[in-house]
Amino acid sequence: MEAQAAPWKPETRRWRRILESRRFLAPALLAPAIVFMAIVVGVPFGWAIYLSFTDAVGGSLSGHFVGLDNFTTAWHDENFRRALRNTLIFTFGSQAIVLVGAAIISHYLIRDFRGKWFLRFLIILPWAAPVALGTLGWLWIFDSLFSVINWTLGHGLGVVDTANPPQWLGRPNLALLAVTLVHAWRILPFAVIIFVAGLASIPTEVDDAAKIDGATGLKKLWYVTLPLQLPIALVALLFGIVFTAADFTVVYVLTQGGPFNSTQMLTTWSFQIGINSGSLGEGAAISLYLFPLLAAVSIGMLFFARRAQVS
Amino acid sequence: MARTVDEPNEQRAGMTRGALLRRGTAAAFAVSMFGALNDRALGFYGPLRFAHKQLSGELRILQWDHFVPAYDKWLDGTYLKRWGEKNDVDVKIDHINNALLFSTASSEVAAQSGHDLFQFLSPPSSFQKQIVPVNDIVQEVTKKLGPMSKVGQKSTFNPKTKNYFAFPDNYVPDPIQYRGSLWNQIDTPVRTWEDIRSGAPKLKAMGHPVGLGMSNEIDSNMLLFALLYCYGGFVQNENNQIVFGKGSNRKGAIAALTLMRDIYKNGMSDEVFAWTAASNNQAFLAGRLSLAENAISIARSAEDSGNQTLSDDTWLAPIPRGPVMRMGNEHVMGVYVIWKFAQNKAAAKKYLVDQQLDYREHFLQSKFYNFPGWTGAIKGGFKSIRKIAAADTHKPRGKYTVLTTIAEKYTTNIGYPGYSNAAIDEIFNRYLVPQMFAQVAQGKLTPGEAVTAFDKEFQRIHRKWANQKLV
Amino acid sequence: MFRGLRTYGVLAPFAILLAFPFYWMLVTMFKEDLDLYNTSNVPYVYNPLRWKFWESATTKHVTFLFTDTDYPRWILNTAIVGTLVVIITLVVALPAGYALARYSGRWGQTAGVAIFLVYLVPPTLLFLPMSRLIVELGRLPGIDDQRGLQDSLWSLVLVYPSFTIPFATWLLMGFFKTIPQELEDAALIDGCSRIQALVRIVFPVSLPGILTVVIFAFSLCVNEFIYAFTFISTSEHRTISAGVPNQLIRGDVFFWQSLMAATLIPSIVLALLYNVFLDRFIKGFTGGAFR
Repeated sequence: MEAQAAPWKPETRRWRRILESRRFLAPALLAPAIVFMAIVVGVPFGWAIYLSFTDAVGGSLSGHFVGLDNFTTAWHDENFRRALRNTLIFTFGSQAIVLVGAAIISHYLIRDFRGKWFLRFLIILPWAAPVALGTLGWLWIFDSLFSVINWTLGHGLGVVDTANPPQWLGRPNLALLAVTLVHAWRILPFAVIIFVAGLASIPTEVDDAAKIDGATGLKKLWYVTLPLQLPIALVALLFGIVFTAADFTVVYVLTQGGPFNSTQMLTTWSFQIGINSGSLGEGAAISLYLFPLLAAVSIGMLFFARRAQVS
Repeated sequence: MARTVDEPNEQRAGMTRGALLRRGTAAAFAVSMFGALNDRALGFYGPLRFAHKQLSGELRILQWDHFVPAYDKWLDGTYLKRWGEKNDVDVKIDHINNALLFSTASSEVAAQSGHDLFQFLSPPSSFQKQIVPVNDIVQEVTKKLGPMSKVGQKSTFNPKTKNYFAFPDNYVPDPIQYRGSLWNQIDTPVRTWEDIRSGAPKLKAMGHPVGLGMSNEIDSNMLLFALLYCYGGFVQNENNQIVFGKGSNRKGAIAALTLMRDIYKNGMSDEVFAWTAASNNQAFLAGRLSLAENAISIARSAEDSGNQTLSDDTWLAPIPRGPVMRMGNEHVMGVYVIWKFAQNKAAAKKYLVDQQLDYREHFLQSKFYNFPGWTGAIKGGFKSIRKIAAADTHKPRGKYTVLTTIAEKYTTNIGYPGYSNAAIDEIFNRYLVPQMFAQVAQGKLTPGEAVTAFDKEFQRIHRKWANQKLV
Repeated sequence: MFRGLRTYGVLAPFAILLAFPFYWMLVTMFKEDLDLYNTSNVPYVYNPLRWKFWESATTKHVTFLFTDTDYPRWILNTAIVGTLVVIITLVVALPAGYALARYSGRWGQTAGVAIFLVYLVPPTLLFLPMSRLIVELGRLPGIDDQRGLQDSLWSLVLVYPSFTIPFATWLLMGFFKTIPQELEDAALIDGCSRIQALVRIVFPVSLPGILTVVIFAFSLCVNEFIYAFTFISTSEHRTISAGVPNQLIRGDVFFWQSLMAATLIPSIVLALLYNVFLDRFIKGFTGGAFR
């Protein structure tokens, strides 16, 4: 096929030369994204930072400057420290489960077998459910009176006392466990898909080379599959961490932060203080604590991932 | 492989008229779907279209999904239509879930745009600077109907700024609902908190524990604040100062905390720490609980559920008496605010006045849930209300007259004997009182420690709002 | 044969654990009130127990969803918002991802990380300044002088790309890096401009990557809750994430059966769709330029 050399006018030629220039093209292609993000995310974020240094209340977007008071007040509150601790527990606890689960599932899911489509459908379901609605389903499953888990454990298997079954959302330790499980449940399919993609991307030459070298089974897993899977695993882990730590809906729907504020996360606690109690400046400060935490984790993981990449 | 350079030009050849028409319709459809344009221009939205009259104003109201769906149906379908026609106003109402009233309100304030009338279920003290004081219409209604109810007064008046920051339209009393047959079996009345303390273990042994919540939700909050009143453990005094850790208040609070710990240990199960607002309803309706404190939604749900035995066995009672007094809170304080940025303040004010002046129908349609902010709003005051309530035929007969007594004598505002100010509001919205009771009940703190620790927190919150000159 | 058994043995328990809540939703949504709220009943069956078990069940809660609430409207709204946001995301992220992959060398790496940091700002805080933003931005071009984009689905269409674009850019950037430069160079030699090479060669080849973005972006939109709830207060304009909890939870009454139905229906549909596209989607990660 041949390109027709059309008779371009001088102005057009100049435009075309500009567009050809790498130095112009790159920024031009990036501009829409950058402008959009600057306006829609940058402006509110900047405003939120401003609010955290004021005593704004009741939804008002302005207030008097109070320096770092909001940050120190937050830090001295026991509930805040617990929220911080919980954020870490939920995030790393659930993602540990996700990592192990996804590694196992993906190992088997890349093979072909009868019923694969259906099993995959079942595995995807938790991630397909809108998070607010799926969590409402779990609220019913953990209900203080009608919990099907308690019924199965009590009347079905006889393992627990039916008159006083475990209160999944009423005892602090059980509630922490319940929230962690729901977080893991909803992220697991997402991680599985990423892992499967990663495994599928291992070129067959590597597979063959391994076979030739005599590496099979466990040896292959350790020396070949895992290192190659590492960058992909880190990606899945990273997104899982971010989606869990910044999540508000699961805790809000399941426990509203209870029992007695023992399952609060930074996001729900900042909502409780900033919105429901009207202390907007304090709420802003609380949610800003999340940012450096996640930034450190993300940057660390991203650099590690890049170094671990096999070219 | 790459196509020739000329192709894009061909594709851009002239639009046919059909294509243009299709795009136009699609655009109009999209716009109407999304409601971004002024609806009067396109006429795509809103249920009222008067063919002969051009309505001269728009009033936008936001309030909660009423627990009684029939009330909302009547309000939206009949009352608003009637009022709108009479006053030449196009009324639009949105209902939202009460749990998210505060976030929607914050969003409207941040945006400086939204509804004209916004309803809250508790006095929104933190929004005081964003609203128009309603002193004028309060005066007008008081002139016509007599004085406001005490609970309305203490909930919406700020003695510091001398303004009414919200219009107290209605309040909902908070009765005890209990299973008469079960309490008869153990031969215990439901009169004082000591009765509860002694009866609960026996009932729990029968498989019917009492249900007094200690969770981050409204039922627990209202109940536990009221329990503190009954035992004299007041959080603030008449001058709105925090006095929780001092003298008789401290003693009273410790007694109340000890009481709840005892009741929990012997007469309740762990579920009370995991409750949502619906949980005590569901547990009572399932036949499990022998006692709960809630608005009459439990009793009314029982009547609608088809379970006749349960419904006939559901009795109402005022909150049990404590050593100091018998006093309960309103379960819900229905107030309206008019935002400073409201577009149609005049219509908003007229709506509030008209609604209160003729409250009888609201009272009936809500199945006695909504008591009017001005008792005189129903002609004959409490005497009339009592007669209306007595006419209710659900068994046991006359149970709703008890409700009237509760409304008349045993209902007060959050923060009694002080006002419902911003500090108490924050304490309330942060569920600090349920948290305190729950921690003592589960043995994490002794009552004495709890009072000291939480008193400090209450003081801190009070200081913060005092700095804002709102307390 | 043995290998197949081991596969089932490992996968089946996981599948059961993950899908159990949905099975539970399926059972619950057909239960009568008296059956559901009775602690002495076996929850897995319909009581009173009969051979013709469907006579103890009811579809009235499901039909309630479609006749007495705005559920169909919410589904439509969600679908429209999702589609529009996906389109906007692709239009903005494709060039951006390409630019970062090809042209930016070292600062491209940093840009990639910076893009990612956008996710670390929780919407529980952002939604307030955003509320103001959508009003102001709507007033500017004179769309609605009073309320801007408040209470309109366009507000969501405007705001959602803020969390789909970074993810999409990042994903596409990684994907483009795996497409060999030779492919474009060949096109350039043949006389195409850079932009033409971009549009005609690179984008079609990256279809799997695009599908990946479509699926993730759409699912992020459907999941979003806070903005959907606070920006829009009129029921007919809501999305399902906001509309369902709003109308099916009244005060202290949860309409559990309808809630379960409302969750199950979109979940099954979306899971089916994702499953169908999954194979194409996996290629999105492998960067298969040569098929």
